[in-house]
Amino acid sequence: MSQFIQQVILGLLLGGVYVAVALGFSLVWGILNIVNLAHGALVIVGAYVTWALFTRWHVDPFLSLPVDALVLFVIGYALQRGVINRLIRAPLLFTFLLTFGLNLVIVSLLLLIFTADFRSVTTTYSGSGLELGNVIIPYIRVGGLAVALVLAGILWAILNRTRIGAAILAVGADRDAAQLVGVDLRHIYALTFAIGAAFAGVAGGIISTFQSITPTAGDPYTLQAFAVVILGGLGRVSATVAGGLAFGLIEVLGQSAPWLGSGYANAIAFVVLVVVLVVRPRGLLGRLA
Amino acid sequence: MSLLALSDVSKRFGGVNALADVSFAVEPGDVLGIIGPNGAGKTTLLNCISGLYHLDRGDIRWESASIRGLAPHRIARLGIGRTFQIVRPFPSMTVRENTAMGALFGRPGARLQPGAALSEADTVLDVVGLGEKRHYPVLRLTVPDRKRLEVARALAMRPRLLLLDEVMAGLNQVEIEQALEMVRRVRDSGVTIVLIEHVMKVIVGVCKRALVLNFGRILVEGPPADVLKDRRVIEAYLGQRYAREQERKET
Amino acid sequence: MIAREDRLPPRLRRSIFAVTMVALAYVILAPLTSIDAAQQAGLPLLTDKVWFRIVTTVLMFVVLASAWNIVGGLTGYASFGNIAFFGLGAYTVGALVANRGWPFGLALLVAPIVPALFALVIGLPLLRLRGHYFAVATLGVGVATGEVVNNVGPLGASTGLFLPIVRSDLLFFYLMLAAAGLAVLTTWVILRTRFGYGLLAIRENEEAAAVIGVNTNFYKVAAFCIAAALSGIAGGIFAQWNSFINQELVFAVSDNVQMILMAVLGGAGTALGPVAGAVVLELIIQTLAGGGSGSVYSQIGLGILLAVCVIFIPRGVIDFFGGRSKLSLRYFRQTLRETSA
Repeated sequence: MSQFIQQVILGLLLGGVYVAVALGFSLVWGILNIVNLAHGALVIVGAYVTWALFTRWHVDPFLSLPVDALVLFVIGYALQRGVINRLIRAPLLFTFLLTFGLNLVIVSLLLLIFTADFRSVTTTYSGSGLELGNVIIPYIRVGGLAVALVLAGILWAILNRTRIGAAILAVGADRDAAQLVGVDLRHIYALTFAIGAAFAGVAGGIISTFQSITPTAGDPYTLQAFAVVILGGLGRVSATVAGGLAFGLIEVLGQSAPWLGSGYANAIAFVVLVVVLVVRPRGLLGRLA
Repeated sequence: MSLLALSDVSKRFGGVNALADVSFAVEPGDVLGIIGPNGAGKTTLLNCISGLYHLDRGDIRWESASIRGLAPHRIARLGIGRTFQIVRPFPSMTVRENTAMGALFGRPGARLQPGAALSEADTVLDVVGLGEKRHYPVLRLTVPDRKRLEVARALAMRPRLLLLDEVMAGLNQVEIEQALEMVRRVRDSGVTIVLIEHVMKVIVGVCKRALVLNFGRILVEGPPADVLKDRRVIEAYLGQRYAREQERKET
Repeated sequence: MIAREDRLPPRLRRSIFAVTMVALAYVILAPLTSIDAAQQAGLPLLTDKVWFRIVTTVLMFVVLASAWNIVGGLTGYASFGNIAFFGLGAYTVGALVANRGWPFGLALLVAPIVPALFALVIGLPLLRLRGHYFAVATLGVGVATGEVVNNVGPLGASTGLFLPIVRSDLLFFYLMLAAAGLAVLTTWVILRTRFGYGLLAIRENEEAAAVIGVNTNFYKVAAFCIAAALSGIAGGIFAQWNSFINQELVFAVSDNVQMILMAVLGGAGTALGPVAGAVVLELIIQTLAGGGSGSVYSQIGLGILLAVCVIFIPRGVIDFFGGRSKLSLRYFRQTLRETSA
């Protein structure tokens, strides 16, 4: 029984990671209608920033998260303003190909700079955790979940309590109408993508605490982010939170099944994806399209 | 035996009753007009008949066989053709090819090859008045012509029943006259027609019967002239006060 | 984005035709100079190992791009998982030859069948999705299938499968050439039949297609299965040609993107567009790679190339041949204006 509870807790903690990863992805998709195939790469860039700060200047990974956010914010803004904005009115296929191309470029650049060697961030508290009876709750995982929930709160606050957020939502709802009331479309697009990238960077920072990173480590996260958004639903922060936690649970419980192992992460994501799309297209908490 | 018979057809979207207990029949040779204020459920009705929407309740019968739940392409092959309110041509094809598509896929009991379908298209295009523009790319056509193309494509299917969704919308007086002529030609060639319209001149000009929908329900049914004078219809379109004033004026 | 090849102006058409015939003749006949008999007769050797490797790879992508075109270009369903069919074809031959000792020829006959059946099974649920959803769902298929294969013991798991080596550049060249011919011919025939028109109708306006009598589900799944079979053949040939296959080699999503780019760049929706795209792009990639196609610089090059092509030439190179657009700065500026924020 405690085995099961351990699994559930681990599932929720893992879910926190997925929430963090999916928030930025969901924002960009919901507002800009762009499924960013380079999202995983942006996450890994964040991970590398944290690693660099940790290795060079011994900055605690959780303290480096704001730096991750800042770096990725700048990169994201530049990318959207300089490149992706050129394709925003083009058919879906092209933004797909474009973001895939960006993914290739980013991952390749990371390979050049950092090589394919696995890097890790191990702090003094990396291995330890809270012990409640037979159940162990790793500290870094709790930290990860906490950060994810804070991020979700911040995103909600930005969207619903600030003027910029209102502009972003307006652009997402009707870009022409938004323009008519004076919203600078290109700037808002870039800002939205930048915020999404910043969140991705923070997610990367969290990931670096428990996973060894290599340039290609981001790819599975893109597909998983997609699955999380489909599972939870598009359109609301709470939907992404629900989707992320649920997905974490599914993955942990699924992998503990006897005939599945850890090599099936993508396969599980995909199966969840297809099942949800066929059975309940709007996801757990999404709005009816 | 009616050509098309609807009984207690109901369709909901979320909490809204788009259609509720709609029942009527269409006889061969009829020209039935469907009118009603915006949002009354007219296009929903057509979508249900042509199979794009699934009914929540009720039945639709084609010559006494139920067509409820059939896929749209099967319904098309039975001999039911339709146009869309916002036209849906195939942009990369010419006028002739667009029309031929109807003949290629929609003929009841026949599987045409491209060559035969193209010849068929030529004939149909003359009926609707697009003969000279047969090689135009669709994007070069004006709006009235695009509507004619919609009709041509449906006619190429040699349908027994033709559903027209606001073919007259956006046309000026002259164009409406021409379109009316086209509809009369189609009627005279033996096709049964059900048309949704807002232009009352059309309803009076070509329909034998008219049916009024309001909030998803049938309000009134009967000869066009009577229907249009019905108090309930006036009320639905123009409000209670206007209806009362009209009544007072007449007495 | 879609161009029609019958809009080529006649004079240009004739010169392109002539050039293509010459190039084709060269490609088909030159390898024959490497046969011993030809060498002994004193014919100059027109081909070498590198030539064979490059051209056979180009031909392989002609098959893949053409197959993708049937689903993505003709029917309008941009699949990011077609690579799974290639991989399944490769593993079918691999498993039959390496594990069961089947002769290659026999195994190759089965190569199109397994992917086609797979396409039938996943096509039914997936082809109900549109746009983004279909694209990523198929991406998931490509990735997940590779992952599953990578974990299955009898299929070599992460080590991969080794096939008995067959040394014959000539054989695999002609096999791939035949496969390429088959793929192009299939597309050409489809475009001239009722089936092809149905696919185009689905692409242009699926609901309109349905109400004029096109059985959209059947047609979509059929297109999917045909594409799967063709890709499977290419995969099967590759398996024996390379004598070694693993997840990384035959389930690479970047290959899927390559085939899409080739079809789109060359002109999706036509029979010859993917050929042009495959030839041009693969030659560029091989040049950038200068050795191994997995090198980092070639990846960067591909990524940038992708971005540039997609931003500046969305309608494909064939657009220039259609007489509709001239290769000029104005064309690029206009394209940008149409698609930018």
